[in-house]
Amino acid sequence: MKQRVFLCLVVLAMFTACGREPRNVAITTLEKAYDVEQDWNDQQRVIPLDYQQAQGKRIFYEKCIWCHADSTPAGPSNRSNLNPNPPLINDGTALNPLSDEFLQNIIALGGSAMGKSAMMPPWGKTLTQDEVLAVIAFIRAAAQPPYQPSARTKSQHPEK
Amino acid sequence: MSAEVMGKASRRLRATFALASVAFVAVLAVSPVKDYFREWKQYEKEYVRFAQTRPDTKHLLSDFHLGIDQIWLPDMNVVDRCTTCHQGITEVSLRGPSVSQPFRAHPLIPHGVKDWGCVICHRGQGPATEVAEAHETTLAWEQPLLRGSYIQASCGVCHREDIPETPKLNRGRRLLSELNCIGCHRMEGIERPAMLGPDLGSVGNKVSRAWLYKWLKEPHTVVDKDGNTVVNGYETGVEPRMPQFRLSEQEIVWLSAYLATLRRQPVETYNFDARVVAAMKNKPDLADQGEVRFRQMFCTTCHSLAVTRAGETRLIGGDIGPELTKVGSKVNGEWLVAWLHNPQGYLSHALMPRYQWSDADLYEVSQYMLTRLTDPDLLKDVPPLKDPDAGDMRRGQQQFLEKGCGSCHQVQAVSPQKDFGPDLSNIGGKNVSQLEFGNSRIPRSLVSYIRAKITEPLSVNTAARMPQYHLNPGDLDAITTALLSMTGSPSSRGLERLIIPQRHADFHPAGAFGKIYERYKCYVCHRFSGYGGTLAPDLSFEGSRAQRRWMIDFLKSPQTLRPTLTFRMPQFNMTNEEASIAADYLVMVTQSPSVDLNAVDTKQLTPEKAALGKQLYEVKYQCHSCHTIGASGGYVGPNLSNAGNWLNAAWIEEWLKNPQALVPGCIEPRRAFTQDEIDALTAYLSTLRMSNTPQETAAGGAR
Repeated sequence: MKQRVFLCLVVLAMFTACGREPRNVAITTLEKAYDVEQDWNDQQRVIPLDYQQAQGKRIFYEKCIWCHADSTPAGPSNRSNLNPNPPLINDGTALNPLSDEFLQNIIALGGSAMGKSAMMPPWGKTLTQDEVLAVIAFIRAAAQPPYQPSARTKSQHPEK
Repeated sequence: MSAEVMGKASRRLRATFALASVAFVAVLAVSPVKDYFREWKQYEKEYVRFAQTRPDTKHLLSDFHLGIDQIWLPDMNVVDRCTTCHQGITEVSLRGPSVSQPFRAHPLIPHGVKDWGCVICHRGQGPATEVAEAHETTLAWEQPLLRGSYIQASCGVCHREDIPETPKLNRGRRLLSELNCIGCHRMEGIERPAMLGPDLGSVGNKVSRAWLYKWLKEPHTVVDKDGNTVVNGYETGVEPRMPQFRLSEQEIVWLSAYLATLRRQPVETYNFDARVVAAMKNKPDLADQGEVRFRQMFCTTCHSLAVTRAGETRLIGGDIGPELTKVGSKVNGEWLVAWLHNPQGYLSHALMPRYQWSDADLYEVSQYMLTRLTDPDLLKDVPPLKDPDAGDMRRGQQQFLEKGCGSCHQVQAVSPQKDFGPDLSNIGGKNVSQLEFGNSRIPRSLVSYIRAKITEPLSVNTAARMPQYHLNPGDLDAITTALLSMTGSPSSRGLERLIIPQRHADFHPAGAFGKIYERYKCYVCHRFSGYGGTLAPDLSFEGSRAQRRWMIDFLKSPQTLRPTLTFRMPQFNMTNEEASIAADYLVMVTQSPSVDLNAVDTKQLTPEKAALGKQLYEVKYQCHSCHTIGASGGYVGPNLSNAGNWLNAAWIEEWLKNPQALVPGCIEPRRAFTQDEIDALTAYLSTLRMSNTPQETAAGGAR
């Protein structure tokens, strides 16, 4: 009798206590990425992009690629045609040292406003500020060598 | 019964009762203990500890309270408790991969978490408070979480019209249409083209039985001279619209027997002027001349050819029409000439324009295609096929119906089975229990089911009739995304009011221009008021942009305006009359409401202003970085060497004020020009003129 009661208790306890163990399913960054960009220098590497970076990629392929890449969807690029030569969009050596503020200004106001070549037109009346920020997010994501945000960029996220 | 026995029994009873009481208390205690150790409570405590390690602790904990957190949006059926664990989801300072889940902030998106909840986009189970139940498929909850790589499917649930923010979804929808999926499956929002596969009613006049055999065996392959498959549509990403069906040798023999005898209407043999043929027949460079004309007419805008450069073979050219590398070994010569002369005579839905050919051109080009675009070995591995008998043909026709050929290809007197494949209009809303996985070992989820079904139809259903597609990973993801977006009727989810429907545009002018528009298939490449292709410039406002005289010259002999484009307007050899009618129509009808052609007095465009404009063009704004004038300049914008003859001054003015207002999405950025600068630039551009005499090419003359 005792044993039976005990058995019942054990079974009851098992029923109540056994919850589902959370399973740790490995999820790769690519599975979480909104879009991806093939690394221009490395065929094997694919860069995951979040929503904002993906929008930057789209705008880049519409507006910027013609002068900031060596090949375009239409074939040849206008880059070699220009003097000074515009930097490639993934050129981290040239673009990583530039602050987000500087990039925002040169994109929105154009090269001449920032003391650079007037060949870079101003996009501030064509793209919204969010779109300019998206392009910068894409530039940072595509950069080779990779972009390391410096300590000062933390100030970009003001506390609410 | 003795007292002793009674006492023993009562002791036993008391002992049992005591034990039962202890057990009862223990059982009662299980519940609060279990509650104390609930997963979400652990995550909440962890969040507090985590927040204390951050510099903005106070801010991070300002909204925090112990207990279930929930976003409740009754009009959208949203009850999401995800924020119970995902405490930092709206905290800007917790954005980025350095913060580990579940506390990381959501990436920046247009729809705020508080206004939309989580499950509208991510699916999963909103009310669940356990990790596994919220994220995975369990018995009780059937829609697993949708992660970033397929998330665009959820955009498509409401955004039925393509939006630029969802490239993967848009590509998937386009592929579903291009790959003719709509031929067999019912799907909402996927356009059904006028013609899926070609009408095969007279295919016996077009190709030989041996070619049909080869095509059914391996559709769309180009083999080099050593016998290696060098360009294969499957691998180059140019997916052929004809997929590979799993046909046995015998089935191919029957099908080819049946198809080769289909000759509904005889070939409309074109009779060349005998003098032209006599004069050209023995010319040694006949095929070379034909190739020159083939290139001059820009056939490659729609058709591709395999070209080998530096040991690598690639397809060069467009994909509107079929690839032509070996067309000379495919089609019957008489048929080819009749087709080039009048494509719609053979196939009423054909997208190929009906060119105005001179006999000389037609002869040269057809000879080039029949003698140069060939491969003598194309049919060498086709076994000898004995003459078909009535039984072969009958069985061929039966195969035609059983394999679903009739869903894409029409053949007179054969009525195909309606809805050959399953209805897919709700595939993205299916629960796992509704899917058949057969003996496959793939994970039991909707995503893996869809992917398996597309890549290897037999793996989940050994009786599948679906043909074999060979998609690259990007296209597979895109199609999966588009299918996941098809969740059936919105009413079942209370989301009707959120649906942004697809727009339907149509542009079919009647009258004299309508005939030209249909004959030259302008809408295949150009867009008119939202209808038509996107390969070439949108002509909705062409009458405001271009001058009539220039249009006529251009239609008769298209020049290069945008030098970087590989795809150019073909030379149709339009007659003067046709070009005039088309130009008149465009000038009269395709006007932009924001351009008043009389607004600019051309007398005001003085040489002084033009000189200032030249200065602005070359120095201040450096327009030459994108535009070419004469021999120098950039390739991004159109060549402006002939802008004075091409563009209306009023258009230039409006364009300089706001290009995107005239052509949405155009590349040219909007500048902050002053009115004086606009006048000066307009004056300068209006002075740019090249010789105004139309170039009469050998064949472009009057007819």
